[in-house]
Amino acid sequence: MMNKLRLSSVFLLTLIFVAVMVLSGCSGGKSAAEVTPGTDNNSSKSGGSKDEQVTITYYTIDSEDRTFVEKLVPDFEKEHPNIKVKVDKAPYEQFDSKLQTLIAAGKSPDVTSHYGYGGFAEYYNKGMLLDLTDLIKEDGFSAEANNIPDNLIKIYTINDHVYGIPLNMYVTLMLYNKDMFDEAKLPYPTSDYEDKDWTFEKMVEYARPMTVISDDIAKTQYGLDFFWSERDNRPLYFGADPYSEDTWTNGGVPSETYFDTPEVMAAYNKLFDLIFKDKVSPTTEWSKSVAGQNGDPFVAGKIGMSVGGSWNLAGANDFPFNIGVAAVPWGGNDKVRSTLYVDPLFILKDSKHPKEAFEWIKYLIRADIQEKSIDLSGGNPPVNTEAAEVYYKHFEGIDPQDIKNVYEGAVKYGFESFNHLITNYSQINDMFINEMQPIETGHKTVEEVMPVIQKKVTDIIKR
Amino acid sequence: MNTVPVPKRRAAFSSSGSKRKASTTQIISFITLIITTFIMLLPLFFMVSTSLKSKREMLKFPPTFLPESWQWSNYTEIFDTLQFGTLYKNSLIIGVVTVFGTLISSALAAYGFSRYRGKGNQLWFMLLLATMMLPYPAIMIPQFIFFSKLNWIDTFLPLIVPSFFGSAYNIFLLRQFFSTLPEDLFDAGRIDGCGELRMWYKIALPLSGPALATVAIFAFIYSWNDLLAPVLYLSSTERFTLPVGMASLTSSRFRIPPWHLLMVASVLAMVPIVTLFAVAQKQFVEGIVLTGIK
Amino acid sequence: MTFKESRRQTFYMYLFIAPWLIGFLVFALYPILASLYYSFTDYDIIHPPRFIGLANYIEMFHNELFWKSVVVTLKYTFIGVPVQLLLALGFALLLNQTIPFRGFFRTAMYFPSMVSGVAMSLLWYWIFNPQIGLFNYILSWFGIHGPAWLMNPDTALYALIIMTLWTAGTGMILFLAGLQGVPASLIEAAKLDGAGRFKTFLHVILPMLSPVLLFQLIMSIIDSFQVFTQAYVMTQGGPNYSTWFYVYNLYTSAFKEYRAGYSSALAWVLLIVVMICTALIMKASDRYVHYEGGGRK
Repeated sequence: MMNKLRLSSVFLLTLIFVAVMVLSGCSGGKSAAEVTPGTDNNSSKSGGSKDEQVTITYYTIDSEDRTFVEKLVPDFEKEHPNIKVKVDKAPYEQFDSKLQTLIAAGKSPDVTSHYGYGGFAEYYNKGMLLDLTDLIKEDGFSAEANNIPDNLIKIYTINDHVYGIPLNMYVTLMLYNKDMFDEAKLPYPTSDYEDKDWTFEKMVEYARPMTVISDDIAKTQYGLDFFWSERDNRPLYFGADPYSEDTWTNGGVPSETYFDTPEVMAAYNKLFDLIFKDKVSPTTEWSKSVAGQNGDPFVAGKIGMSVGGSWNLAGANDFPFNIGVAAVPWGGNDKVRSTLYVDPLFILKDSKHPKEAFEWIKYLIRADIQEKSIDLSGGNPPVNTEAAEVYYKHFEGIDPQDIKNVYEGAVKYGFESFNHLITNYSQINDMFINEMQPIETGHKTVEEVMPVIQKKVTDIIKR
Repeated sequence: MNTVPVPKRRAAFSSSGSKRKASTTQIISFITLIITTFIMLLPLFFMVSTSLKSKREMLKFPPTFLPESWQWSNYTEIFDTLQFGTLYKNSLIIGVVTVFGTLISSALAAYGFSRYRGKGNQLWFMLLLATMMLPYPAIMIPQFIFFSKLNWIDTFLPLIVPSFFGSAYNIFLLRQFFSTLPEDLFDAGRIDGCGELRMWYKIALPLSGPALATVAIFAFIYSWNDLLAPVLYLSSTERFTLPVGMASLTSSRFRIPPWHLLMVASVLAMVPIVTLFAVAQKQFVEGIVLTGIK
Repeated sequence: MTFKESRRQTFYMYLFIAPWLIGFLVFALYPILASLYYSFTDYDIIHPPRFIGLANYIEMFHNELFWKSVVVTLKYTFIGVPVQLLLALGFALLLNQTIPFRGFFRTAMYFPSMVSGVAMSLLWYWIFNPQIGLFNYILSWFGIHGPAWLMNPDTALYALIIMTLWTAGTGMILFLAGLQGVPASLIEAAKLDGAGRFKTFLHVILPMLSPVLLFQLIMSIIDSFQVFTQAYVMTQGGPNYSTWFYVYNLYTSAFKEYRAGYSSALAWVLLIVVMICTALIMKASDRYVHYEGGGRK
């Protein structure tokens, strides 16, 4: 009995130890080798023979307006019999963590975009992106031939090296509630960016008669909601650039920031005055209460004019009121009036088939595919100006000419959104949201908070 | 001597003396229960009501309490929007297998921890607890690297197989229950010549009905609602689970999500859990209370 | 205990725990050791980890957000855990009586724990809405002007604690399962001795429930220190960092800041702290927890 017991326990323990050895042995040394990027042999790999079938992975958000690309794959594969495209996806909230995990495990996707929290500058500075310059040269690809405005390509070019090809473009525009304008007997705002009368002051003037503050929550409404880009980006609207000039050429690492300067603080004060002095804009608390799960009080019909991203147009066909689009008024900056949100396609550095990946990118920005995508996605704005003509007509009850004016004006007076251009941006943005909260509730002043923010931005950028 | 314990069906707090007349305590409890139940069922009311609204009605402020017009068609629309049947089937497969695996392996391990004072018991038990103390985001990457080495990516295996090796939470839970079983029972079993494994399934398991039911419920709900692991390990749409499919409804940053459809999905997703619970909770109603051995 | 008996006990223990032990060595050990290794490195996921010794551990003690997250998490734990346990125990005692519709009541109590996260969070936005929310509506009956809850830094954490009370059903189930193990004969004996309801509870039922209570206490602490989802879905750590929980901080460090090394160090500090708490509780429990079984005495 004794011996039997001993034998079996020895056996069991041996089994366990073998298991440990095998496992730690095979997995221990891996992680490092796994992660080493294979940049050196990229070119040799991609030059593989024509008949060899390769599979590339396109990683995107798992939502209807992104996964529609699956419907474009069969035609692409027909055109390129040697390439198979696999679409991998994750919900928005898990997009970053899954992407990073895939890369860490050596399963990096080939093509993706900055669909999660992080932006281009983040990816670029971490060295995640493949330099497309040689591929472009080799291929003879030209933005012009694809009707992509040259200044859009420049957004993702650093020191003459191209890292991303634009796919979709959202702009900042004004949506207005026609019913509220009619009720206040106001003329509709213009969609013409060249109309010199359309200024910030004029907008505030329009907002006043539409603002009703009542004890009855069902009656309260505001004239204006000014969500021009992210918080740190907003001073630019008034002509105060809070980041130093070199930021835009060196890959998003500002050598200096100016959040505590009088100009920047004056800009913020002008914005908070809309809530506390002019009282034509709602507090964050009211906005969030009314917006509820939909994220924007405009859709509840409680806001006269809403300045924000053009994605707000997407739900337009469901709004229970009539809407129009207008230009962002002039606010003191002659060059910039609209933030652009250009979503590019990247090839990740660890891609084993950059050439084939580039074919896929080229396919997605072709005029006919971009046009097809508008309907399939339910209204994604194409970068291809030819396809854009179709996009302008996509919205019921809104004059296509207005949308065209607003888009073209925005490109002319546009600047790419900071969230794509500045390194460590998701931390900067988190910090702004939290630090500015006391100003939004009226507990602190701009003058008290901005010096703290200035210090924290500097710390984050240094990281 | 009869080693099978004589079960007596009775709940611990029953007031056996007052069968006819309800006591004041019972009346007060009953009223408390009705109020709490009302609060607890708010989510259900809210889910069902929202699931019957139209997309346009969801935009209204102040929101409506009951749907203006009852859109039963939402319940068919979900099948067009998502591959709802496939998602459901996948989640069920994973859930059922996980429950099965968790029950067997956790009951075995818990028995080992609770009934034998072997060398290293304390140490291994602390290690067991420690596995629960590292937050998932911290082990996500190495775990993924490990499973990808096994070529298990885009299969159900990473979601199912670990359950056959016990879950720390449920082992701990069952260990606590097994520890409360009277030692006399096992002594009696031993005298009757029962082997150790036999005592496990002839004595320990039958007497732990409520605990095993609890483990089954917990394991199923955990697997059924788990989002992070399936998102990470699955990449083909035809293998997605319910939570992954539901997350896709609210994933667009540029669209107003179809909340009404999400609620339809949530209501439908409740069905197996509620059914399982309703069945399993009978274990608590008819809980076998030992009177000890005569 | 004889030598032979101790051998026998060891053998059977390993035999029974083998499934878990093998699983632990095969599936859990590598990720755990890997994260320990990462915690001593500078690892941004893209480039290979670079050994930097204790730098991550030293850094966190100088990091403002780290300390904020510690305070927030401790507050959440010390307020949330006791309230949740008491509530769960109360429900369980109520629902262990013979009353009509017992099965229905139990299902109802457990219901919120079954609902998937997104559906619940939507409900909570609605309940805590300062303008039209149910919560402030009920407070207004008592003449209280309710706060903005999730949007106010002073109340957001409490709103999240209130939210967790809805899931007290989980604890209730565990207590219910535990209550089924209380022999009716013991209760009757106590009654014959003239013990009141409260005394019976304190001296008969509570000791019998103590193993389950210990389990719940330890698990609530482990879970509560790791609270994350609510903050991620409902408040994003805000407003003004008032719900910046420890694991939220850890997650942000890893996946927003690309600092898997630092984030792993945070995880290991958490592990050690929770481990010490657990060990202390286990040690203290030896005196109070009543195990019927002979294995441990």
